[in-house]
Amino acid sequence: MKNISLFATLLFALLFAATACSSDERPDSSQQMVDGDGIEIEGAWARPGSEGRMSAAYFLITNFTDEDDRLLSAESDVAQNVEIHESYEQENDMVGMRELESVDIPVQSTIRLEQGGMHIMLIQLTRSISDGDSFELTLNFENYGEVVLDIPVRL
Amino acid sequence: MKFRYLFFIFITLLISTLLISCGPDRLDDYSGDSYELVNQNGETVVFPDDFEGNPVFVGFIYTHCPDICSFITSNLKKVHDELDSDDDTQFILITFDPERDTPDVLKSYASAFDMDTEPYHFLTGDTETIDELMRRVNVRTNITDELAEKSDQDIYFINHSDKILLIDSRSRLVFDYGGSMTPVEIFIEDHQKL
Repeated sequence: MKNISLFATLLFALLFAATACSSDERPDSSQQMVDGDGIEIEGAWARPGSEGRMSAAYFLITNFTDEDDRLLSAESDVAQNVEIHESYEQENDMVGMRELESVDIPVQSTIRLEQGGMHIMLIQLTRSISDGDSFELTLNFENYGEVVLDIPVRL
Repeated sequence: MKFRYLFFIFITLLISTLLISCGPDRLDDYSGDSYELVNQNGETVVFPDDFEGNPVFVGFIYTHCPDICSFITSNLKKVHDELDSDDDTQFILITFDPERDTPDVLKSYASAFDMDTEPYHFLTGDTETIDELMRRVNVRTNITDELAEKSDQDIYFINHSDKILLIDSRSRLVFDYGGSMTPVEIFIEDHQKL
């Protein structure tokens, strides 16, 4: 009986430790989601940038619909051109950037647009944007249609 | 008595040597180099000479870069914010795109990040000097022409090294980081080793 209690305590401790460790892990870019409605955008933000220069917007896209979808484009009056881009590592520790035609958003998955990866690129800003500002960004999905976001600017 | 005196000196020297050797290894020495650059206020700055006496974080950017360079810039600001208010460490961002990144452009970029005053220094220079400096610090760049046809302005992007350096007060390179991805805590921890 004493051994069973000891075993149960150890098992509980192991489970507790495993839970504590996993809570720090970042979700995968295609994390399975179970709760929500439609296409949901979370954690949107953009970098500061000066007029005529560049910025980038980042967020998570979760597809709660019952069909695969695709981010086709983005629009905003804060920049002359708005494109979907991806930063990637090259040889010799160099980083490059390339335009993406679209981003697949499989059903019940979350896609992460983040630093050093996929992002919405704001080319030739029409005004300077600083920490604390915000601007409107419209995302166009193949099936879901338009999603309008208010993007806060922060460091 | 004389022997004890000599023994005391020997021990002192030994401890001093050990303490010095406990610091981080030096990866390079820039104390013999000198580059005449211009800061965001249009003032001439000689790198690294004008910064000797203080530890210096140096990042390499260009202002048309929306993703990686903004993180390099922001990373340096966060490091500064984490240091004691009376710390004399300087923070330098040098462009490798001097033709477009004039002092005025750098001033505007610095303002957007709320970094347009000391201890932040945004530096540019003539193309030849910048190229020479980039070779010296092993920052590689190559221009892409992906966007050239999309605007009446001269828009192009640059593939580049992602780098921040930590240089000690004697202009010696002590740490070489991936600029955008290195956590702020690592910079702080290494800075404390100087």
